[in-house]
Order: sequence, then structure tokens, then C-alpha cells
Amino acid sequence: MRKKLSEMDYGEEGVVKSIEGYLRNKVAGMGIRVGKKLKMATKQPIKGPVVVTVDQYTISLGLGIADKIIVEVEE
Amino acid sequence: MKILLMGHPNVGKSAVFNRLTGAKVTESNYPGTTVDYTKGYMRLGGKDVEIIDVPGTFSLEPKDKAEEVAVKMLKENRDSVIICVIDSVKLERGLYLALEIIEEGYPVVIALNMWDVAEDKNIWIDVEKLEDILGVPVVPTIAVSGKGMKELVSRIKEASTVNIEKIVEKAGGVEQ
Repeated sequence: MRKKLSEMDYGEEGVVKSIEGYLRNKVAGMGIRVGKKLKMATKQPIKGPVVVTVDQYTISLGLGIADKIIVEVEE
Repeated sequence: MKILLMGHPNVGKSAVFNRLTGAKVTESNYPGTTVDYTKGYMRLGGKDVEIIDVPGTFSLEPKDKAEEVAVKMLKENRDSVIICVIDSVKLERGLYLALEIIEEGYPVVIALNMWDVAEDKNIWIDVEKLEDILGVPVVPTIAVSGKGMKELVSRIKEASTVNIEKIVEKAGGVEQ
């Protein structure tokens, strides 16, 4: 099933399927690219950033960015 | 010749800087911004060489003031050798920046810092293979303990510019 990265549940794992064009280079510097496996670590309240685990480190992404990254998750 | 220390925030650039410069550290303020960079000198081949601790940046497309300073410093020091400090645990994204710098035509040496942390996480990096693909020196380091620092210094002279196409070819082409 495909969903926005921002819609992933806690602990859910997924593979990045698409990233909105203008964001691609921006998130590439943070280690996120199409085909990358990631796991939702935490979501901060009040439209705060989401924290995902990529490889063995965590990064936080603004909600606006997380909305524009589509991931494939197992059902 | 100058040496610029570049890398993501929090990969140990300043730790490497302190190791390389010893006590001869001078601090300065970059004009027009609130972002500091640090400048010092190290002995290299019997000469004092200027070495600059550049603010951390994720890529060469600046997203904030600190990154603007980093990119500006890179562009203003065309004759520099870049020591690209990478957190060994975050190798992939570190390489993204390293490749951007190589693509810009700068001679690069890569320091795979925090090697001990990567070992703790059971991450092992094939340094020889990475060196073969990239065509630049790659040295595992642990800046806080000083491990690998001598090798890093001794290999600065091996830094040379590499054509990015060659790296792509060696890495097996671009996946579409």
C-alpha cells in the first residue's frame, strides 16, 4: 500500500517510491532517495516534524516535506 | 594551498581540526554572517599550511546561512584541497556531499570518521573498494582518539581531481 511518509504509523517500515521533484536534491543530502528503506520513529505533535530511521541513524523531516514523499508499506 | 575541512554537521570536523592543528588555533568571524569558522595552521611537508574548519553542510545547495557560508568558502578557495569528513555510520549521505565536491573539481581526501562507532554498530566499510571506485584517498579515522590522523595527513598529497563520469562508470552506472 502506498501512503505519504507523514501518514506512516509508529514503527511502520516502508520503501521510498517517489519524491516530489524539487525536493529530491534537498532530501538526498539527508540520505533519503527513491528505493531507500525507512522506518517511522516518532511524530511530533502540533504539526511538528516527523523522525524516521534510515540505515542506522535517525533524521527529522518537516511535515511539509514528509507530505511530499510517497512510501510503499507492507499491509 | 589551503586545506578545507568539509562535511555534514556533527561528523567530527572540529575534532579532526583540533587534532591536525594542535594548539595553534585562532578563531575568527566570517564577515556579514553570524556563522563562525575556525582557521588554524598545520605542518605539512615542512611548511605551515592554512586549514579551515568550514561550517557543516548537507549539500552544496545551501538551505540556510551556515550552509551559504560553507558553499561560499568552497567557491572562494579554488586552490584548496578538501578533507571531506564523513560519519562512517552515515556513509551514504556523506558520500553525496563528497561526490558533489568532487564534481565541482576539487581534489578530495575522505576521512571516514567515527570508525569506532560504526564498528560498535556492526558496520564494516570496504575502504579499498571505496578508494578504487572514487579514485581518492579514503582513510578510517577516530578523531577523538587520534587514530588514523597520521595516515590522513600523509595522504593529503595524494588528493587529486577525479572526473565524476569515471566514478559513475566504476560504480556500475546510474540506476534509472
